[in-house]
Amino acid sequence: MWRYLFKRFLLMFPTMLGVAVITFVLIRVIPGDVVELRYAGDRGAVSQELLDKERTRIGLDQPVWKQFLVWMAGVVRLDFGQSMWTGAPIWEELKLRFALSLQVAVMATVIAVALAIPLGVLSALRQDTWLDYAVRLFSMAGLATPSFWLGIVFILALLITFKWVPPMVFTPFWVNPWENMVQLIWPALAVGYRYSAVATRMTRSAMLEVLREDYIRTARAKGLVQKLILSRHALKNAMLPVVTVVAIEFAFLIGGLVVTEQVFNLNGLGLLFVQAVAHRDYTLLQALVMLVASFFIIVNFAMDVMYAWLDPRIRYR
Amino acid sequence: MHRRTGLVTFAALLVLALALPAAAQTPRHGGELTFVVPSEPPSYDAHQEETFGLIHPIAPHYNTLLRVDPVDKTGTKPVGDLAESWTISKDQLTYTFKLRRGVKFHDGSEMTSKDVKATYDKIIKPPAGVKSLRASAYESVKSVEAPDPSTIRFTLKWPESSFLLNLASPWNWIYRADIIAKDPHWYEKNINGTGPFKFVEHVKGSHWVGKKNPDYWDKGKPYLDGYRAIFISNSAAQVAAIRGERALIQFRGFSPPERDSLVQALGSKITVQESPWDCLNFVSMHHEKKPFNDKRVRRAMSLALDRYAGSAALSKITIVRDVGGILVPGTPYATPPGELEKLAGYGRDINANRAEAKRLLKEAGVPDGFAFTFKNRGIPHPYEPLGIWLIDQWRQIGFNVKQEIVEASAYHPMLKRGDFEVAMDFQCGFIVEPDLDLARFVSTSDANYGKHKDTAIDDLYSRQARATDPEERKKAIRQLEKRLLDDEAHVIYTLQWHRIIPHNSRVHGWTITPSHYLNNQLDTVWLSE
Repeated sequence: MWRYLFKRFLLMFPTMLGVAVITFVLIRVIPGDVVELRYAGDRGAVSQELLDKERTRIGLDQPVWKQFLVWMAGVVRLDFGQSMWTGAPIWEELKLRFALSLQVAVMATVIAVALAIPLGVLSALRQDTWLDYAVRLFSMAGLATPSFWLGIVFILALLITFKWVPPMVFTPFWVNPWENMVQLIWPALAVGYRYSAVATRMTRSAMLEVLREDYIRTARAKGLVQKLILSRHALKNAMLPVVTVVAIEFAFLIGGLVVTEQVFNLNGLGLLFVQAVAHRDYTLLQALVMLVASFFIIVNFAMDVMYAWLDPRIRYR
Repeated sequence: MHRRTGLVTFAALLVLALALPAAAQTPRHGGELTFVVPSEPPSYDAHQEETFGLIHPIAPHYNTLLRVDPVDKTGTKPVGDLAESWTISKDQLTYTFKLRRGVKFHDGSEMTSKDVKATYDKIIKPPAGVKSLRASAYESVKSVEAPDPSTIRFTLKWPESSFLLNLASPWNWIYRADIIAKDPHWYEKNINGTGPFKFVEHVKGSHWVGKKNPDYWDKGKPYLDGYRAIFISNSAAQVAAIRGERALIQFRGFSPPERDSLVQALGSKITVQESPWDCLNFVSMHHEKKPFNDKRVRRAMSLALDRYAGSAALSKITIVRDVGGILVPGTPYATPPGELEKLAGYGRDINANRAEAKRLLKEAGVPDGFAFTFKNRGIPHPYEPLGIWLIDQWRQIGFNVKQEIVEASAYHPMLKRGDFEVAMDFQCGFIVEPDLDLARFVSTSDANYGKHKDTAIDDLYSRQARATDPEERKKAIRQLEKRLLDDEAHVIYTLQWHRIIPHNSRVHGWTITPSHYLNNQLDTVWLSE
């Protein structure tokens, strides 16, 4: 098992390098640069001399390979440099938003898992009954409803019914838990519903598959009670694909809530992504992609560890 | 006797009626103004930035030498801010300002003429490595001197009509001389002004907070205890913030449908202020590409536009309204309606205009029109509706137009490269002043994207800029306008932007102007209960 985990761990590094190269090249393919955007704004009449000077100052006049090497040298030291738009250190820009994005992702995951596992299991156990149809309808609706649209519906419903909207400024949980929850519960619900729909479908189909396995029939034949069959034999084995889905969705939520964050005015990584692209803030965008990619890779690695725990065939390989 | 009593009673009632609103308008101290800012400042230094996202949250920390009168709806009247009074020499080459005494920076140090001089030196001749975006606006300045602590003197190389208004620029915040001398980049990341509010905090991507400056030189002001600017980029979220009273105002502007939805939802709790906006979309045609090098074709394209019907239809859905000339309608140098209607494409008889357009096209050898690509910016308001309207209008005289939407960030580079035949261009000023609004049409301007070369325009621009008599200046502006929009039709003006500010009725003491860069010090703003 350790050999398996070590191999998975080593695979993380070439993946990161690949992400770094692709991001670095792709962002430079898009026309326009940060200098042009910042200084040719509303009036648009800035001299070429000033634009050239600014490009030199931030190193955009250097050949692309040289810019890449300088950047990679920083990445190795975990120094992502400064935002080309604000001039602030990248870490400062990221840490502000990361806490919020992580909290929304955790809350949405809790909501999704709390809904998906019981509903998926019930739906599988009561296959083709009214309960199964209701759960399937609920989950299909979740799959078909974009989170940001649900967010807009929440806001409009709150405005029309209570003449109230969630706070527009983030308050950390440790500063004021009530204010924090009142703001974040709505986006977490909007995102968590779609997320739960995916997980419910997966739980249901995995459970249906496992419940038809020989070892379940054997357990029943041995006279084991249903509760024990479900918890010890069926659920644990059905969880492998569910864990995969939950983990991938969780990683996606860090930085993936681009529109939902705009709807609720959440100062998260998704909104920062949009701003970084719009401003052609190369350094910030590269750092953001690296952060989200690292998160995906780490979650993937954690998933591999979880597989080993859940599936003895991997453990004893 | 009865008649006399009646008159007295009427007079008393009249006095009471006049006095009541005045009493109701007495500013109230206290409260925090929360407002929405749709953009965010890249740095804190106004001398080197271009965005209103910096002016709105940070202007309350600073003063300028002059400012635009906060109650002047035209946004064209300079009044003293740190300057108490001023004199202009007869030859209009020397401007001498007396500064207010007892003005303190937020760090407690006294503001003197040394600070004003250091600020203007930084703006006009920035030290190496320091950017100043508006240095070219002060090319006429020969010297800035501080003969004594409360006097500042500007000497010009030539008379310049716009000079006084240029000193009221909302970007020219007065900085502390010692700080600039020690580190000219200090103000990029720090705040230390003389303004009505002191800096409290800036949480990036989230909000900006200021609190009342108790030592403000204008005693009794500001009225507010503080303010909180919330950064919200999404327009639906901005409307939701105002509607849910999470914010009371947004100082840039909303679209007509957004205004209507707020009015419908909040009724008397919302007050709407509207003004022509010193921003405008015009069409640039590349003069080096055929057939746009032919002025008959360009004139025909302008004659095809039914601006008056367009105004009626588009003003319901987007932020344009008035049919105007080269300066904002309702401001001192705006084109009088009678004169405006004489320009090509501005006459009320659209059939006659289009018949003339077709005649010109025939004369130019393209009687059936031709196909071309119109490049437009990928921004909903007002670019997209305006683009659709233009294409429809041009089709009426036989043009087959394909619209290509250019993503907002790639739009300027496209214009600069000249990678277009016909493109939507735009102009947005921070003060309604001909020098600022017309500079881009001078042949050598970096923003002359259509690449016209017209020495007559260049001469007329210089003439109006140096005219000391307002009437003489007006005449030069009208001639420039006729040449730019009619005789040569170098560009095609569409409709003037229209600024709409629906705000919570608790907000008082703020007057809309044609520029969203003006009137953001918040010293006059107060909140009712």
